[in-house]
Amino acid sequence: MDNFHLELKNVSKAVLRKVNNTRVKTQILSNIDLNVRKGDLVSIMGASGSGKSTLLRLINRLSERDSGDILLNGKDIRYYDPMVLRRKVGMMFQVPVVFKGSVRDNLAFGMKLWGKDVDIQTLSRDAGISENLLDADAKHLSVGEKQRVCMARALANQPEVLLLDEPTSALDAASAERIEKLLLRLKLEKDLTMLWVTHEKDQARRIGGTRLILRDGRLEEDHD
Amino acid sequence: MIKILAIALTVLLIALTAAYARRFSIGKEISLAGARAIVQILILASIIIILFKLPFYWSFPVLIAMAAIAGYTTYSRSGRLENGLPVAILSIAAASLLLLIPFFLLGIFPFEARYIVPTGSILIGNTMNVSSLAIDRYRGEVRNRRAEIEAYLALGAKPELASSACLKQGIISALIPSIDNMKNLGLVWIPGVMTGLLLAGADPVEAASIQVSIFASIFAAGMIASSLLLRYFTNSFFTKAAQLKEDPD
Repeated sequence: MDNFHLELKNVSKAVLRKVNNTRVKTQILSNIDLNVRKGDLVSIMGASGSGKSTLLRLINRLSERDSGDILLNGKDIRYYDPMVLRRKVGMMFQVPVVFKGSVRDNLAFGMKLWGKDVDIQTLSRDAGISENLLDADAKHLSVGEKQRVCMARALANQPEVLLLDEPTSALDAASAERIEKLLLRLKLEKDLTMLWVTHEKDQARRIGGTRLILRDGRLEEDHD
Repeated sequence: MIKILAIALTVLLIALTAAYARRFSIGKEISLAGARAIVQILILASIIIILFKLPFYWSFPVLIAMAAIAGYTTYSRSGRLENGLPVAILSIAAASLLLLIPFFLLGIFPFEARYIVPTGSILIGNTMNVSSLAIDRYRGEVRNRRAEIEAYLALGAKPELASSACLKQGIISALIPSIDNMKNLGLVWIPGVMTGLLLAGADPVEAASIQVSIFASIFAAGMIASSLLLRYFTNSFFTKAAQLKEDPD
């Protein structure tokens, strides 16, 4: 039997969407199956509103699936403490959200929750954050810098899986390329399992790994 | 004669204001609120007449009824969150009572309905206002800062921590009117208690001292009640799996 790091079995989810000011229940994910081995990279493409973000949110339980099973290391994610699960399954969002305080405060946040210290120097170096920025107010950084802070902040928790919800789509081309390269390097160095949602086919090709498309609530392999 | 004139003046002013406010489509509301105010305050006055003849502890059922109505008002403002009504009533009643007791234990006021009911009602009414504002603002902050809250949750933070900045903002915003009132005390207006005492012929310094202690009590009671309420309501924004619930609006 294969030992998958992450497994989705028959996962379905409906969401409420506003149509003409009334809320309509829409089936967004239908019987999704997905097996991911440790250290694998899976890119997920799909049209806007196709459920890509929802799919990621089910894996760290920011949202709850309606049916099906999601297993991490063979264990149903419902049996993890959600706070522990979210440390194991980190997430980067499309629009970076930094917390009040300095860059250093942001990087130390995750570990501080568990009463541990974090090696800020190594972390910032890994994420390409200049040491001069460590004591800067995080709210005053550029969007690209903020996204790097968010990346480092997620990595500080030493996750096994990293969920990337279009992490470069809000950035200019140069910043996007930099984040993309950083993420791929860190994936190799830390043997991270990555699920990377993107709407750019070129990006999906560049980053490699398995390419999937979410269409009409179902995941299909992209052979183009 | 004075009471008839005062009520006649009230009716006239409400009618005129409502007639003018029709152009803003709130004429009906003003008429209704005005009519309710007259009836309610006259009923209260009748109850007070009876209370004055009874032992002082009969004041407490009246205060409890006031706290229940205040709690219901705040609960409605909360979007009728689960189990919110008893919590709202208890928070407002407990905070108001806690700040009411010292006035009588220290001998500032005698244990008489004449003092217990009005002082208690001032505390309950103001605590209700602060609590309603706090819960309304807290809900708004949670709605507007979903991304931030979820960023906290995604790093393994508990819901209480993830929403703490929203809670803090809710309490600060609710207390701003009380802080402004304290700052402007005696500069812009002479508040109700002091006015009443002066009209009754009290010494101005004594009236001012009582007024300022009432203000401090209002502030403290508002802060206690809204802190209790908002902490309780935090749970209603999240599921048991620490997920931020969908915005119901």
